[in-house]
Amino acid sequence: MLDWGWIGDHLPQLAFRTAQHLELAAIALAIGFAISFAIGVAAARWRVLYPPSAAIAGIVFTIPSLALFAAFVPATGLSILTAEIPLVLYTLVILLRNVVAGFDAVPADVLEAADAMGFTRGRRLLRIELPLAVPLIVAGLRVASVSTIGLVSITAILGDALGGLGFFIYEGMTRFFATEIAVGAVPTIVLALVADRLFLWLERAITPWSRRTRTATAG
Amino acid sequence: MSASATPAAARAATVEFRHVTKSYDPAALRRGAPGAVNDLSFTVPAGKICVLVGPSGCGKTTSLKMINRLIEPTSGQILIDGVDAASRNVTELRREIGYVIQQVGLFPHQSIGENVATVPRLLGWPRARRRERADELLALVGLDPATYRDRYPAQLSGGERQRVGVARALAADPPIMLMDEPFGAVDPIVRERLQNEFLRLQEQLAKTILFVTHDIDEAIKMGDLVAVMQAGGVLAQFGPPAGILADPASDFVARFVGTDRGLKRLSLARVGDLPGRIPVTARAGDRSGPARARILADPFPYLLLVDDGDRPIGWVDQDDVDGDGVLGPEQAIPMSPLLNRRTTLKDALSLLLEADVQAGIVVNRGGRVEGIVTAGMILDWIREQGRPAADAATADEAAAAAARA
Repeated sequence: MLDWGWIGDHLPQLAFRTAQHLELAAIALAIGFAISFAIGVAAARWRVLYPPSAAIAGIVFTIPSLALFAAFVPATGLSILTAEIPLVLYTLVILLRNVVAGFDAVPADVLEAADAMGFTRGRRLLRIELPLAVPLIVAGLRVASVSTIGLVSITAILGDALGGLGFFIYEGMTRFFATEIAVGAVPTIVLALVADRLFLWLERAITPWSRRTRTATAG
Repeated sequence: MSASATPAAARAATVEFRHVTKSYDPAALRRGAPGAVNDLSFTVPAGKICVLVGPSGCGKTTSLKMINRLIEPTSGQILIDGVDAASRNVTELRREIGYVIQQVGLFPHQSIGENVATVPRLLGWPRARRRERADELLALVGLDPATYRDRYPAQLSGGERQRVGVARALAADPPIMLMDEPFGAVDPIVRERLQNEFLRLQEQLAKTILFVTHDIDEAIKMGDLVAVMQAGGVLAQFGPPAGILADPASDFVARFVGTDRGLKRLSLARVGDLPGRIPVTARAGDRSGPARARILADPFPYLLLVDDGDRPIGWVDQDDVDGDGVLGPEQAIPMSPLLNRRTTLKDALSLLLEADVQAGIVVNRGGRVEGIVTAGMILDWIREQGRPAADAATADEAAAAAARA
């Protein structure tokens, strides 16, 4: 059924596209996380910021991904920026919500005790709120990584220079070549599963104090 | 005891409320903010426990939180050893005031040892000293350091968590402790034990403690002084619990302390306050002849059998003590409740009624018999203490309760 010979001939491309796929996803996650974290910390401090930022993120999520990628082409051309801007926007939907929820989940009695014992504002954020928000933040990263790895494939519509493993899927579809579609799709699924496990492990490793594994509320 | 190892132990401060008022704007009240406080003035001498008690919304928690400035007063001053709290750096002030709340507020991501050493860490103590102090405090509140030091709060029971909360508040040996319904979330048996342990601890520590509760019984039991507050944050009465029970300043206070305030006074007196009464005792193995002579001469018809260390084994009915033979443990009937000089008369009476026996045995720390207490002795005590008017009613109530049991 599969053309194993074709696969054997294209191993170097497969390696290159896998690396590119990971790179596109990692950049989007890193930038998305940095933005969400900054907004999340601010929103945890000033609650009025939360509704507008959550609303904007929610609206972005309703835009069909193909349309969103296409929308930036006139402005940024077929560059990596055109790929990353929508990818980052999609991570924000998940990460922003989880970062804010993470800070929000810190029990009020813990905060009161910290204040009463003489923690300064900054120290309380760093030593108490942040560690307690980590489980939900990492849970958000986990969901966002899986979703981003899936979305990277769509960047193949922006041309041969992008797309990661999506390049094979896109090209396989135009050529009606099942083997090439599988060569793009199967590793994508594997990458997503690996990322999911990795973040799950990370979450457990950094929260030995939490007997129960907290589940992601985003999605 | 380990607490005395701390050089600054038994340091305490005077807390004075001077015309303290807190008013919230109407918007805050609609959000369910705590009740306001109105022109509150009272002084808690160093080393005393003052309990703020009143119905919900009377401003007792608000008053407490103004001391460590979690809430700032609208007007008036709170003086700590004569210094206005408002003039202090707020984080420094808070590190000198222990704080215990009902939900405990332990940090879930830190071990018990780290939790206890929180304020010492904020104060920059070296690691070794922090660890030593945490162990010392865990032992002080009755938790084995080796067992508990490395656990996380989620692995502890409610009662254990509350002990850790108390240990954490004591960590930097603060002269003042604020406790907001600290034993409110644990079951009645654990609460009783924690209260007793805390009172014993306070005998050594002699901190100035402000304690909030809505439970008048807890207030009477814990307080050297009681501040009864009523809706609107008004101080209804301030004074020692016995005075408040004997002489309520208003209808509100009388209603709040309850119609059974005569009985409540039982929780203020302890077995040691009663005139002593020594039972007829004999050692297991003694000849019963001489014992029989002694027990027939005593109005109390039971002989208390004790072991070689004078520890009680059980009672022998005088009719079962025959003229010749040897007294043995097998003759003894089940033991009465064991009391000590610190047991409150309320607990003593309750134990007697529960066990359905005529007398409780008073033992010392080593378990040696010191005397006995009967329900009659407790009723006599109430009769002597009560004012003429309240006297008859309360004694009758107690007698009726005793008769029903």
